[in-house]
Amino acid sequence: MISMRGLPATRMRALSTLSWWLIRAQFKTRRAATLLSMLAIALGVALGYAIHLINDAALSDFGRAMKSVQGDPDAVIAARDSAGSVPLATINAIARDPAVLLVAAVIETRVRIDNAPTPVRLIGIDVFSAMAMTPDLLPRQDEQAAAPNILDGGVYASPALLARLAQSAQDSQSSQGKDFGTRAGGTLKLLRGEQQWLATLAGDLPVARPDDLLLVADIAWVQARFGPADGVSEGRVRLAPDTDLASWRQAWAQRLPPGLLIRAGDDDSARVSNLSRAYRVNLNVLALVALLTGAFLVFATQLTAVAQRSTQFALLGVLGLSPRMRLLQVLLEGVAIGVPGSLLGLALGYALAVTFTQVLGGDLGGGYFAGSAPLIVPALAPALLFLALGCLASLAGASYPAYLNRMQPLAQALKTGFAQRPPADARPAARSWRYAHSWVRRLPLLPLLLALAAFALAQLPPLFELPLAGYASIALVLVVGIASAPLLTQLLFGWLSAQPLPAPQRIALQNVAQAPLMAQVAASGLIVSFALTASMVIMVSSFRVAVDQWLDHVLPAPLYLRSKATPLPLDLLGALAAPAAPFAKVERMANAALTIDPQRPQVALLIREIEPRDPAARLPFTGPLLAPPAAMPAVWISEPMAEIYRLAPAQTLRLPLLGREVEVFIGGVWRDYGRQFGAVVISREDYQQLGGNFQPTDLALWPLPGQQAQATAWLAPWAEQYGLEVADSAAIRRLSLSIFDKSFAVTYALEAAAMLIGLFGLAVTLAASVWLRARELATLGALGFDRRMLSHAVMLEGALIASVGLLIGLACGIAIGAILTHVINPQAFHWRMALAIPWTAVFAGAVITLAAAVLASRYAARQATRLPVAQVLANAQ
Amino acid sequence: MLRVSDLAKQYGKANRPLFSALDFAVGSGEIVALVGESGVGKSTLLNCIAGLDTADRGSVAIGPQALDIVALDETARAALRARSIGFVFQAFHVLPTLTVAQNIGVPLLLCGVPAGEHAPRTQALLERVGLAGFAARWPASLSGGELQRVAIARALVHRPALLLADEPTGNLDPRTADEVLALLLERVREQQTSALVVTHSQHVAQSCDRILTLTPNGLLESGCARQ
Repeated sequence: MISMRGLPATRMRALSTLSWWLIRAQFKTRRAATLLSMLAIALGVALGYAIHLINDAALSDFGRAMKSVQGDPDAVIAARDSAGSVPLATINAIARDPAVLLVAAVIETRVRIDNAPTPVRLIGIDVFSAMAMTPDLLPRQDEQAAAPNILDGGVYASPALLARLAQSAQDSQSSQGKDFGTRAGGTLKLLRGEQQWLATLAGDLPVARPDDLLLVADIAWVQARFGPADGVSEGRVRLAPDTDLASWRQAWAQRLPPGLLIRAGDDDSARVSNLSRAYRVNLNVLALVALLTGAFLVFATQLTAVAQRSTQFALLGVLGLSPRMRLLQVLLEGVAIGVPGSLLGLALGYALAVTFTQVLGGDLGGGYFAGSAPLIVPALAPALLFLALGCLASLAGASYPAYLNRMQPLAQALKTGFAQRPPADARPAARSWRYAHSWVRRLPLLPLLLALAAFALAQLPPLFELPLAGYASIALVLVVGIASAPLLTQLLFGWLSAQPLPAPQRIALQNVAQAPLMAQVAASGLIVSFALTASMVIMVSSFRVAVDQWLDHVLPAPLYLRSKATPLPLDLLGALAAPAAPFAKVERMANAALTIDPQRPQVALLIREIEPRDPAARLPFTGPLLAPPAAMPAVWISEPMAEIYRLAPAQTLRLPLLGREVEVFIGGVWRDYGRQFGAVVISREDYQQLGGNFQPTDLALWPLPGQQAQATAWLAPWAEQYGLEVADSAAIRRLSLSIFDKSFAVTYALEAAAMLIGLFGLAVTLAASVWLRARELATLGALGFDRRMLSHAVMLEGALIASVGLLIGLACGIAIGAILTHVINPQAFHWRMALAIPWTAVFAGAVITLAAAVLASRYAARQATRLPVAQVLANAQ
Repeated sequence: MLRVSDLAKQYGKANRPLFSALDFAVGSGEIVALVGESGVGKSTLLNCIAGLDTADRGSVAIGPQALDIVALDETARAALRARSIGFVFQAFHVLPTLTVAQNIGVPLLLCGVPAGEHAPRTQALLERVGLAGFAARWPASLSGGELQRVAIARALVHRPALLLADEPTGNLDPRTADEVLALLLERVREQQTSALVVTHSQHVAQSCDRILTLTPNGLLESGCARQ
C-alpha cells in the first residue's frame, strides 16, 4: 500500500510513531512554555469566537424581535420623520393596487402606564389584517373576565408587561396600599405627555416575545386617543404572488409623497447589521491581535525548542530523517499546540458568550442591542473557521523555526549545536534570505520604505466603509519596528561595545550588538507588545480627554430633566414658567428621528431652543459658522452625519421633515460623541415655522443663584409623578466617563495580556540564548568570570534588549496611537479628536516593563550561573 | 561495501583543495581505520561519504547496489543513510527524551521496518551489547560506556551496509574504550558490515583490518594492521 507523497504505508506509520515520540517528549520537557502557547492561542480564538457568537445571536434576536412586531411583509411604507405619519389616502391607494394582496395599517406610539417608570409600546392593529401579517401580535381574550374585546376598546398586554405590572402592583401595595389593574378586567391609566386615557385590560398576547413590553389595541381606538387623525405610522404590504418587488418598489417610490419611504426586508437586515458593524470589526481586530500574540508565543517557544534540540534533530537527520520530515515535525508540533489551544478557545469562547449575554445582554458593550438577552447557538461552520484560524496562527508561529530546523547543517549542528542563521550555501532560497537580511541590517532603506508605505496607507479613505487601509498601516508600522531593531541595536551598542569597559558589560554589549536571532526575537516580542499597549493607552487617553472637553461644552446647565420618549407634561412646563419656580433659565429640547437612507440607522433630529445667531454657545463646532441665506432655515449637523452622508457647511440639504422634503442650509458641523449615526440640530423657531409641533422631551435648567438644592427638591415630585429623570451635570459627566471607562475595560485586559506575553517571550528567548551559549559562558567561567559577573552580563543583556524593544515599541506605539486616533476612529466611528499622549503613564509603563524585563532575565541569568562549567566544557570536546 | 572514486573537496572562499582524487574501497565485513593529522579533512571526508557534506567531484558508492550518494539529492541521501549507513559518534548522541529501546528503534522507524519486528530485534541487540534489561531505562541514568553501547546497537540494528565511526572511543576511559571497541568490531564482523573508523588512537587503528592515512598529498595505505 502506498500513501501520499509515495511513502509506503508502513514507513508512514513508523514515521508517525517517531513523530509522536518527539511531540510527547517536547510537551513533557517544555510543559510551561507549551501550555502558555496553547493558552495564548485559546485566548485569541475565544475572543474572536465569543464576539461572533454574541453578535450573531444578538443580530438574529434583533431580527426576530423586529419580525415579531412587524411580521413578515414584503415592504413597509413609513414616514422618514419619526414625528410624521403615512396619510390614509396613500394607504388606500396602495391597497387598490392589483399587485398588492394586503396592506396592514399600524399605529405605534409610546405611553407610560400610570406611574410605572418605563414607557411601553402601544400598537394599534387592524385585527383582520394582523391575522395574516403579524400573528405574534394577535390578542387572546380572557373569556372569564368581564372585559370588552379588541373591537370594543379592550387592550392586551405582553407577558413581560403583565409581569412588570404585577411587580409594580406588589411594590405599590406594600408601600402605598394602592391597587392596579393587572388582571383582565382591570383598568390601566395610559399617559402620554399631558394626555391621560383609561383602558381596560382584556387579555394577553400569547406569542409575543418574552422581553417585549407591548400593549396592543384596535387601531381605531389608538387613533382616536393618540392620533394621528388622518394617517397611520406604517403600512405593511404583502404583494401578490409573481409580483417583482424591485420594480413594484421603484414604481411606488416615484408616486409616494416626499416624506415617505418604502423599506424592504433587505433594508432592515442591512440597517441592523450596520448598527454594530464598525464596532464588531474593531473587536475582531483586537481578537486578531490576541491571536497574533499567540502566534508569536508559539514562534518563541518553537524556536527555542528547535534550538535546544538542534543536536537531536541533527542526529535524526544523520540517521536518515529527511529535511522535509524535519520541517514537518516542527510544523506538526505547532499544530499539536494549535489544535488543543483552539478547541479550548472554542469552549472558552462559548462559555464567555453565554456568560456575557446573561450578565450584559447582547450589546457587546457598545450599546447597540441593549436590553436583549439572546440565546447563544453555536453553529458548526463558524466553529470550524475559528478552529482553523487558531491552528493557522499556531502553524504560522512554527513555520520559521521549522524552516530553520530544515536548513540546519547536520554535521555542524552535531558538533557545535544550533546555527542561528541558515548556511549561506544551503540553497538558493537561503542565499536570497541572507542577502535580504543583510540589507535590513546594513541599510535603513527598507524600514524607511516600509514607513513611507505605512504613512501612505494611513492617508487612504475607508474601504467598504471600514478603515482597512488603516489596519494595514498599523501592521506595517509593527513590521518597520521589527525590521529596524538590528539597525538600531548596532547603532546604539556597536560603538559602545568597542569602548574600554568592564568585562561583563563588554560581553553583554558585544553579544547584543551582534544582534543574534534570539536577541532579535526577544526584542520583537517587546516591540509588538509595548507598541500595542502604548498605542491603546494613547488612543484611550486622547479619546477620554476629548470626551471630557466635549462634556464641558454640551452640559452647560447645572440640572437636566428628561422624559423617556414621551413628551413632557404641559402642567410641568407651565409650572416652570411661573415666577415661583426657582429657576433663572429653562431651555427645552425635543427629539425625533429621520430616515435619510433606509439601509442606515436613523439620524437624530434635535429641536432646540438655541440662539440662531450664536449656536456656538451650545454646540461645540469644529469649523466656521455660516449664516443661512434669507428665508432658508439653518441646521447644524454632527461630525458623524457630515462624514456618513458626505455633507459640508454651506451646502443645502433636503431634509425629510414633517411629511415633506424641506430644503435647509448647513450652517456648521459640531462635534458629537453621543450619537454615532449622526444628528442634526434645528432651532425651535425654525421647526415651528416649518409647521412642526414642538413637544419637549428634555430640559436644561439653570436654578436661581444659590438655589440648586431647592431646585432639585422642587423637581422631585414632578419626577416621581411622571417618571422623569433628573440629574445634575456632574452626575451625568461621572456616568458618561464611567460608561466610557467600562467600554474600554476589555482593551486594558488585552494590553496586560500582550505585555505578559512580550515579557514571557523575552524570558524564554534569553534562557534559550543562554542555553545556546552554554559553552561560551562555561569558557568564560573557566577563564575567571565568577557567578556574579556571569549573572550581571546576562541581566545586562536582557536590559539592553528590553531597552531597544521599548524604545522602538514606544516610537511605534505613538505612530499607531496617531493612526488609531486620526484614521481608525474617524473612519470606523466618525469620531475625531486631538492626539493627547499621556507621557507620564507611557514612561511609567516603559520603566515598569524594563524592570520586569530585568527580573525576567534573572531567570536566564540563574540558568547561566547554574551551568556546570567542567561538564559543559567536557561535552564540548 | 563502500567504493570512493576520484573524490575531491575544496574549502574556504579561495577554494583551496582539502583533498583531491581520493580512491579507496572497503569490502563487506572489512574494518578500515582512517587516521591523519588534525585539520587534514578526516571528518569532512566522513561527512562527504555520509552525504552530510557535498563533494566537489567524484563518487561514493554504497551497498550492494553501489548507489552513488554524491549524485543524489538531499532527500534521497537521507533515505540512503537511513537504509544503508550506521553511525557511531565520539559524543554518543543518544536522544535524551527517548528510552534506550526507543533510541535503538529509531533507525528501524526511519527504514520503515514493520512495527512487529522492532521489539525482538532491539532486544536481541541489547543482549549482544551487554545491555539486557536496559530497554526501559532513560539515557540520563547510563554511564559513558553504556551510552556508547546503546549508540553501537542503534548503528547496527537496521543491518546497514556501511558503518561510519568518528572517534568511537574518544570520550571513554581506556578500559571501557577497550570493551566498547571489541564489541564494535565483533558486531561489525558478525553482520558482515563494511566499516570506516576515524581515529587518532593508534590502538584503535591497529585493531582494524587496514589503515588509511589521510595527508595533504592524498591517501597512504599502511597495510593490514592486525596481520
